[in-house]
Amino acid sequence: MIGRWWTGLRGSLQWRLLLVTLLSMALALLLTGITLFNLFSGHVQRQFQADLEVQLEQLTARLEFDASGQPVVDATQLSDPRWLKPLSGRYWQVDAYPRTANDAPDTRNVAGVLRSRSLWDEVLDLPPDVVADGATHLHEIGGPSGRPLLAVERTVRPPAPHSSAWTLVVAADASETQGAIRRFARVLAATLAVLLGLLGLASVAQVWVGLSPLRALRQAVSALDQGHEARLRGRFPAEIQPLADGLNRALQRQEEGLARARTQAGNLAHALKTPLAVLRHSADAASQPDQPLALQQVGQQIHEQVAKAQQHMDWHLRRARSAAHAAGMQRPRCALLPTLHGLQRVMDKVYAHRQLRLSVASDAADPWVPVEQEDLHDMLGNLIDNACKWAQRCVHIQVDQDGHVRVEDDGPGVPEAQRSLMCQRGQRLDQHTPGSGLGLAIVAELAELYGAQLSFGASPLGGLSAQLRWNARPR
Amino acid sequence: MRILLVEDEPTLNRQLDMALQHAGYSVDVSVNGRDAWALGDAEPFDAVVLDLGLPQMDGLTVLKRWRAAGRGMPVLILTARDNWHEKVAGIDAGADDYLTKPFHTEELLARLRGLIRRASGLSSPLLVCGPVELDTRTGRVTLDGQAIALTSHEFKVLAYLMHHPGAVVSRTELTEHIYAQDSDRDSNTIEVFVGRLRKKLPAALIETVRGLGYRLVAPP
Repeated sequence: MIGRWWTGLRGSLQWRLLLVTLLSMALALLLTGITLFNLFSGHVQRQFQADLEVQLEQLTARLEFDASGQPVVDATQLSDPRWLKPLSGRYWQVDAYPRTANDAPDTRNVAGVLRSRSLWDEVLDLPPDVVADGATHLHEIGGPSGRPLLAVERTVRPPAPHSSAWTLVVAADASETQGAIRRFARVLAATLAVLLGLLGLASVAQVWVGLSPLRALRQAVSALDQGHEARLRGRFPAEIQPLADGLNRALQRQEEGLARARTQAGNLAHALKTPLAVLRHSADAASQPDQPLALQQVGQQIHEQVAKAQQHMDWHLRRARSAAHAAGMQRPRCALLPTLHGLQRVMDKVYAHRQLRLSVASDAADPWVPVEQEDLHDMLGNLIDNACKWAQRCVHIQVDQDGHVRVEDDGPGVPEAQRSLMCQRGQRLDQHTPGSGLGLAIVAELAELYGAQLSFGASPLGGLSAQLRWNARPR
Repeated sequence: MRILLVEDEPTLNRQLDMALQHAGYSVDVSVNGRDAWALGDAEPFDAVVLDLGLPQMDGLTVLKRWRAAGRGMPVLILTARDNWHEKVAGIDAGADDYLTKPFHTEELLARLRGLIRRASGLSSPLLVCGPVELDTRTGRVTLDGQAIALTSHEFKVLAYLMHHPGAVVSRTELTEHIYAQDSDRDSNTIEVFVGRLRKKLPAALIETVRGLGYRLVAPP
């Protein structure tokens, strides 16, 4: 679970940025919170101590000594009513100094010589301490019923001739400061939490805005991949534009390389075309019946070899062409109807003497098919030419809503058992009709290269029906 | 019948030239587009065999210029195998038929015969005028079923006349369609050939139209 989460995190730029930002912000806010809390509680403590010291001053001012040097406090002179209310949380006490028993000159009770009424029958128990004259010390002590108290003490000496010293203590309930500090801590925590939330939202927005060019880039690449575009389109920020430009340059180089390879393959085929034609005519001349038998045989052999060379050349040329667009970034597309109409003009002219009626009907207004122009010409040209060769009177070409093409004729048709043989290389069901028998094999081969389906059936016109179904998502 | 052969490859050009002459045609050859265009524009050919890949001016341009200038002779184009793109372009430029390379000599001759015949409005490969029959496929001439031996020139004159039955054909026209450009032309020799034909065939078959030329008429 955590592993998967971690992988997801590492895989996403967005989550990485967000996590780092949120963590560092949380840390910064935590430090701020601690600092503010310490500042505030320190301030409250100091304020509290100052308050206690003021009251200690008042107590000191009301302290008098009787003739024996014993301290006397007139409680009615002290203004704060909390001194009188039992366990009110404000206490004062006068101890003998020093407080420890063995240091004392006699065995009298040294702690709590005088006490505020609020102490009732309790005695504040302060740790032993040496307090210089005029100095005040702060202590944290346990008070009545176990509540923690903060106490300040100072030492006073009665005027001569008395030599004894006395410690004056003023104490208050520590919870008086704790309450304020707790409230402050609550407000501080809530404020910082809200701040963290707002900053988190801000960083989400920042990441979203900052990464939006990457989303645009992804869309552009996806358009490229689906063949809608040949290049990465759009302007990108300065950090990403060089990437897009570099990719576009690489695409351009690739296309140029492919075009060059194609041209070279085409040039080779074109250069070999005429020598092969020459050889074939020499072989024709040698195979004439009036030539010596040995020469006729040589002529026959040349024929066979020329035909093979021709087939190899055609095959590799088509391969080179198709490999070129298989590797190309932009998927091939071609308008179907102009191609069909061009072929229709060819057939009308070439088969004019046979009064063939060639009709084209389309269910789609302007269908486009995922095939290179030249290959589309070759596939449809061979199919229609084949239909025209066998037709009696008419050939009909039907294009359906999705651009799939059906070519039908009213010729003799082909028995079902033989239909699968029709596409095989060099296979001709009838040896008397002119043509090398390669036409349908070429169509089948091209269809396979494009992932299209070529199928044959019986036509309602009486002859053969050949159907080409394009692959919606070409390879 | 006079043919213009346009093919830039010398060996293929020679082979086709010989095959066409052997089949009884007068042949003019051209090895580049510019010359081919000039020849086809100036001379009356009965058919043209045109390769599309030519130096100086490509075959499609030559063809388009001929058609634009109103030259309507039948044109057979030679294209690369299965280049349907080129076939469509060729037909759209005004070609009448195509042949893909490499092809058999017989196939070329058969297509040419068909083109020439259809240009004259004839549908059967067997041309008939009364008792005389000319089989364009074999080049055999028969009179009442008996084979008649004709010289090459006699055959050319008869074949041209039989492709234009009933039409008046001038001596100049016959000369233009029987001799290739570079051969010795003499319109007087036409009279000699017609005279010889009249001896071998029924004399009334070829009628002289005074001051105009000759006309082929079926004897009653």
